[in-house]
Amino acid sequence: MTIHQVLFIVMALAILGSAIFVVTTSNLFRAALMLILTFFGVAGLFVLLDIGLFAVAQVLIYIGAISILLIFAVMLTRGMQGMVPRNSQAVAAAVTVGIIFAVLLLLFGPFRVTVDVARWPVFSLFAGNASPRDVGGIEWTPPNQPIPSVPETYIADFGRSLVDLNQYLLPFLLIAFLVDVVLAGAIFVARQRRPAEVIEDRRRQAEEAAEEAEAMRQAGMAPDVAPLPEGAVASTAEH
Amino acid sequence: MQNLLNGIPLWWYLAVSAALFCIGLYGALARKNAIALLMGVELMLNAANINLLAFWRYLAPTSSGGLAFAAFVLVIAAAEAAVGLALIIAVYRITRSIDPEKLDQMKL
Repeated sequence: MTIHQVLFIVMALAILGSAIFVVTTSNLFRAALMLILTFFGVAGLFVLLDIGLFAVAQVLIYIGAISILLIFAVMLTRGMQGMVPRNSQAVAAAVTVGIIFAVLLLLFGPFRVTVDVARWPVFSLFAGNASPRDVGGIEWTPPNQPIPSVPETYIADFGRSLVDLNQYLLPFLLIAFLVDVVLAGAIFVARQRRPAEVIEDRRRQAEEAAEEAEAMRQAGMAPDVAPLPEGAVASTAEH
Repeated sequence: MQNLLNGIPLWWYLAVSAALFCIGLYGALARKNAIALLMGVELMLNAANINLLAFWRYLAPTSSGGLAFAAFVLVIAAAEAAVGLALIIAVYRITRSIDPEKLDQMKL
């Protein structure tokens, strides 16, 4: 067994153990801390794959940003901790993911699973005619040949491909726009509204309801909602 | 005969990724707390990233397509966490609860 294999197994066990802890514990704060361990393990797998760039990105984005965000949310919703960790569908969910895992392992694992398409014609839906090695001008590693090493300049190549019109410029711009919109939207949704704004909102809602009732009355129909009493607006303003 | 990288076959990565995805899916389906549910979604996105990068490294390490896809997944994971947590905090302010089963005001 080589050192790489030992490292892989250690990291895989760390990832899966901490991930199981994350989804089973009732203490949310501990779950967030164990999630950080999971992210570290995944960064280790990226190092084993010779992609240092993504190991660093994993540490910066997942551990540095997302975990901290999750911990903030856990703290802001205090009093929600120590609750029952599972809902009423937990058993069904466990059975479902067990089946999905078994199917995935049969498809991609070391065992060969072949399906007789003549006997089960429905499976021909999943069998394309094109070999995956024909796709899109990419040099695929042929089977039974050594895997080439990652080029020295892979970070520069990756950066150039993001701003190359013939490669990933459009998705790159779209995703930049998406992040802009999402951050603005997140701030808008989560911001604390000032009391004056809340009162103004309620006043406008009451006005709209009154206008609607007036319009209904003019159209000769009885309003199905009684208009707000006069004191309602004033009493909310006093708060 | 399978290609090996440092003595590790590709399916090891795929198995870890599948297991991590299934654990995350269980978390997203079975937790009684919206933040824990988001943690499950993060686990699933991580599993997808392992899958993308392992396939890239074993099958096409000289192109940058796999890296670009994995980077987009990373960015979308960050955006999803930001907007999800903002929603959870807004809902918590209104209802004082973040149990996804109780948030059924939009049911007909």
